[in-house]
Amino acid sequence: MTVELHDITVRFGDVVALDGVSFVADQGKIHALVGENGAGKTTLMRVLYGAVVPDAGTIHVAGSRVSFRNSGEAIAAGIGMVSQHYSVIPELTCLENLILGAEPGWALHRGATIQRARELAAKMGYEFDWAASADRLGPAGSQKLEILKLLWRGSRTMILDEPTAMLSPADSEGLFQSLRSLADQGATVIVVTHRLPEVLQHCEQVTVLRGGKQVGAQPVKNLEAASLAELIVGQQVQARNHGSAIPGEPVLEVVGLRAKGYRGDWAVDGADLTLHEGEMVGLAGVDGNGQRELFHALVGTLPSEGTIRFRDEDWSGQGTARRIADGLRLVPEDRHEEGAVDSWSLVENSILGLQRCPGPARAAWLDRTQATAIAQRVTERFATRHGGLDYPISSLSGGNQQRFVAARALEMSPKLVLAFQPSRGLDIRGSEDVFAAIRSECRAGATALIASFDLDELLSQCDRVVVMSRGKIVAPPRGAEMDRSAIGKLMTEVE
Amino acid sequence: MRTRLGWTHGVFIAASLVLIFLSVRATGADFGETAQFFVRGSLGGPAAWTRTLKEFLPLLMLGTAVLVALRAGLFNIGADGQFTVGALGAAVVVLRLGGASGMLLGLAAGLAFGALWALPAGWIRAYRGGHEVISTIMLNNIARLLTLYLVKGPIKDPDQQGQTTATFPTSTSLPEITLPSGTLVTSGLVVGLLVVVGFWIWERRTVAGYELNLVGANPTAASVAGVSAKRVKLGAMLASGAVAGLAGAIFVLGHEHRFYANLSPGYGFDALGVAMLAVSGVPALVPAALAFAVISTGTASIQTLGVPRGLSGVILGLTLLGVAAVAGARKRIAHE
Repeated sequence: MTVELHDITVRFGDVVALDGVSFVADQGKIHALVGENGAGKTTLMRVLYGAVVPDAGTIHVAGSRVSFRNSGEAIAAGIGMVSQHYSVIPELTCLENLILGAEPGWALHRGATIQRARELAAKMGYEFDWAASADRLGPAGSQKLEILKLLWRGSRTMILDEPTAMLSPADSEGLFQSLRSLADQGATVIVVTHRLPEVLQHCEQVTVLRGGKQVGAQPVKNLEAASLAELIVGQQVQARNHGSAIPGEPVLEVVGLRAKGYRGDWAVDGADLTLHEGEMVGLAGVDGNGQRELFHALVGTLPSEGTIRFRDEDWSGQGTARRIADGLRLVPEDRHEEGAVDSWSLVENSILGLQRCPGPARAAWLDRTQATAIAQRVTERFATRHGGLDYPISSLSGGNQQRFVAARALEMSPKLVLAFQPSRGLDIRGSEDVFAAIRSECRAGATALIASFDLDELLSQCDRVVVMSRGKIVAPPRGAEMDRSAIGKLMTEVE
Repeated sequence: MRTRLGWTHGVFIAASLVLIFLSVRATGADFGETAQFFVRGSLGGPAAWTRTLKEFLPLLMLGTAVLVALRAGLFNIGADGQFTVGALGAAVVVLRLGGASGMLLGLAAGLAFGALWALPAGWIRAYRGGHEVISTIMLNNIARLLTLYLVKGPIKDPDQQGQTTATFPTSTSLPEITLPSGTLVTSGLVVGLLVVVGFWIWERRTVAGYELNLVGANPTAASVAGVSAKRVKLGAMLASGAVAGLAGAIFVLGHEHRFYANLSPGYGFDALGVAMLAVSGVPALVPAALAFAVISTGTASIQTLGVPRGLSGVILGLTLLGVAAVAGARKRIAHE
C-alpha cells in the first residue's frame, strides 16, 4: 500500500521540526529517507507511525485519508517501525519477544505459536531458536527479530530507522536482501539512513530532508552520489587532503593484553599494539572481534592481564581515574549508557569524566563557571544544536548528542583519545568535522585510536589502520598499510 | 507538544479530598470541626508549633539521611534503626559523662553509632551485591530488639518500672531556644537545618557531590568517568547512617532526656516519604518534613473528637500518591 504524507508540520515549542514536508512511498519499493542529523527524518517517520501528532498536514494510506492519534492506530493500519535502538528484551525468549503485545488470544498455544513463527521466519529465510533467550542475539539477529515482529503484527508498510547503524557490512547486505524480498512480496519499505552507498545500491526512491524541509524526492536511478550528497548538505563536499602525520615516539605500548568478554571467553586474547605520538590510528574489524573489550581494558573498566604502558606510566595497575588524569579521553560506544546522564543538563554532562581535572575542579570544589565555559566550548566545537545549556542532554537529537560527547573527549588537553565509532549517527559533515578535530589534536601531539566498522571511513580519515581479529591485533603488511583489499583480507581472515 | 497536566489530575485531587472527607465522616465526626481541630492542633499557636517542630526535626534529618543514600541509588530503609542506635550511643555517653563535654561527645557518639549501623548494609551492597533494602530492614529489627534488651537489663534504670534508662543529667541537654512567638525549640533544630543546608551546598558544589549523583544516575557512565561506584555507595550509606544517628542523638538530648524502648514511632519510615517528595531538590526536604509533621500532630489532636489517629496514614498516603502522579506528569512533559 502506498503511503502519502502531505504538508506535514510539527512544532516542538518554538522549534519547527518539520515545515510543510511531503513524502510519498510507493508499494513494492524500497524508499530511502535521507538527510543530516536533526533534519527531521525520525520525526517524520514518527508522524507516520502515529507517535507524533502533526500540527498540520494530511496522511493517506492506500488512498484513503487517516489520522493516527497513537501508534496503536498506525499499527492497526498496517504500519510498523523498527527504531534505531532495538526493543528486544534480553530477559525474554525469542518467541516471547516476537509476540509481546500482539499475543494470539488470551491463552498461549505454544506449539501452534512456534509453528507460525517458524513459517514466518522461513518466508524470510531466517532461522531462530525460538525457545532460546534473546540476549544471545547479536545486532544482526535482533534486527531480524524486529522485522519478524513487524510481520507478526501484519505490517505492510515498514519503517526502519538507521537499520544498519549496528550491523557489519555483510549483515547490512543480508538485511537489504530481506527488505528486497519484502518489497517484492508487496510491502512498502522505508529506510531512514545517511549511508549513501546503501541508497544508491538498494533503494528505488529517495526523499531528502534538510533543516525540516523536503528538498528533493526522486528515483535513485541515474542519481549520482555527489549530487545526492550535495542535496543533503546543501553544498559541495570538498575532496580531502589532510596531510600525513610524522609519528613521534611510542606513547602507548600494549603487550600481551588479555581480557574476558561478558560470556567469559578471552575476547581480547594476547593483543599487542604500539601507538606513537601524533598518530591517528584506525582499528578495523568485524563487529565482535574484541574491539569493545579492548577499549574497556584500555579505559580500565574491564579487568585485564598483560601490560599497558602509557608514556612513563604503567597503567596496568592503575584505575580509570588515574588514566583520565594522564590524558585519556573516551568517545564511548554507547553514549546513553556510558557517555552521558540523560536527565542531566548539558553543563553537568560537559564535565562528565573531567570532573576531577583542574579547571572544572578546584581541589574538592566544582567550579560551575568553568563547567559552563566547557559546556559552551563543547557545544560550539561541532555546532551542536541545543535549546540552552541548562536543558537536559536528552532534549538533543541523537546526532547532536553524539557531537556533544565527541567534542567533550577533546577537552582539557587530551593525550590519548579512544573513540568507538565517533561518527555513529552523524551525517557527512558532522562526521567530517569530528574526524578533523581529532586529527588536529593529534597534529598537536595527542594520539588517537579509532574503532569503526566502516572501513572506508577509517581509510579516508586515519594515518594507518590495524585490524582486530579474534582478540588479536594484526597490522597489514609493510607497503600495504592503507590497502583496502589487504586490510579486508585480514578482517575476513582470508590468507 | 501539549501539557499532560490536565483534568485527570484535577479529578485525582478531588478524589483525594473526597476520600479524606468520607473517612472522617465514617468515624462519625463533623468534618468542619475536625478540620478546625486539625489546623489548630498543629499550627494554631506556640504550643502547637512546639509539638509540630518536635516532630519536624527527626523527619527532616532522617529525610536528609534517606536522600543522601538515594542520591547514590540506594534505598536506606534502615534510617529508623540507625536513629535508634544513634540515640542509644548518645545515651550511653551522657549517662557516664555529664556537662557540655558529655553532650558534645554524645552527639559524636550518635554520628558514629549511626554510621556503624549502616556499615554492614553499605559494605554488603557495594562489595557483595546483597540488596540494601533487605539488609537495612534486618538491621532495623536487630536495632529494635537489641535496644529493647538493653533497656530491660544492662542500662535499665532500676528505680523505674518502664523499660527506660535513667533521666540524663540536665547539664547534657541541648539548650532550648524560645522563639519570639513563644514557640519552644531545641538548638538541635539549628543543627538539623545546618545539615540540610550543608548537604545542599556539598551536593551542588563539590566534586564528591557530583560523583555521588553520578553513581545514582548512571553507574556505568560513572565507572567510565573514573568513579568507583562501590566506594561511593559505601560512603553514601555511612553518611546516611551518620546523619540518622545524629538525629537520634539530638532527639534524646534535646527532647526526651532519656532512652527507652521503641523510641522511634516510625520516623525512619515516614522519612522515606519525605525524601521521595524531595528528590527534585534538597530544599524541598523542609516543606516535605513540615507537611508530614503537621499531619502527624494534626491527626493526634483530632483524636479528641473520636477520629482515629490512623487517619494520618490515610492522609499521608493520599498526599504521596498525588505528588507522585503530578511529578510523573511533569517528568513526561520534560521528556518530550
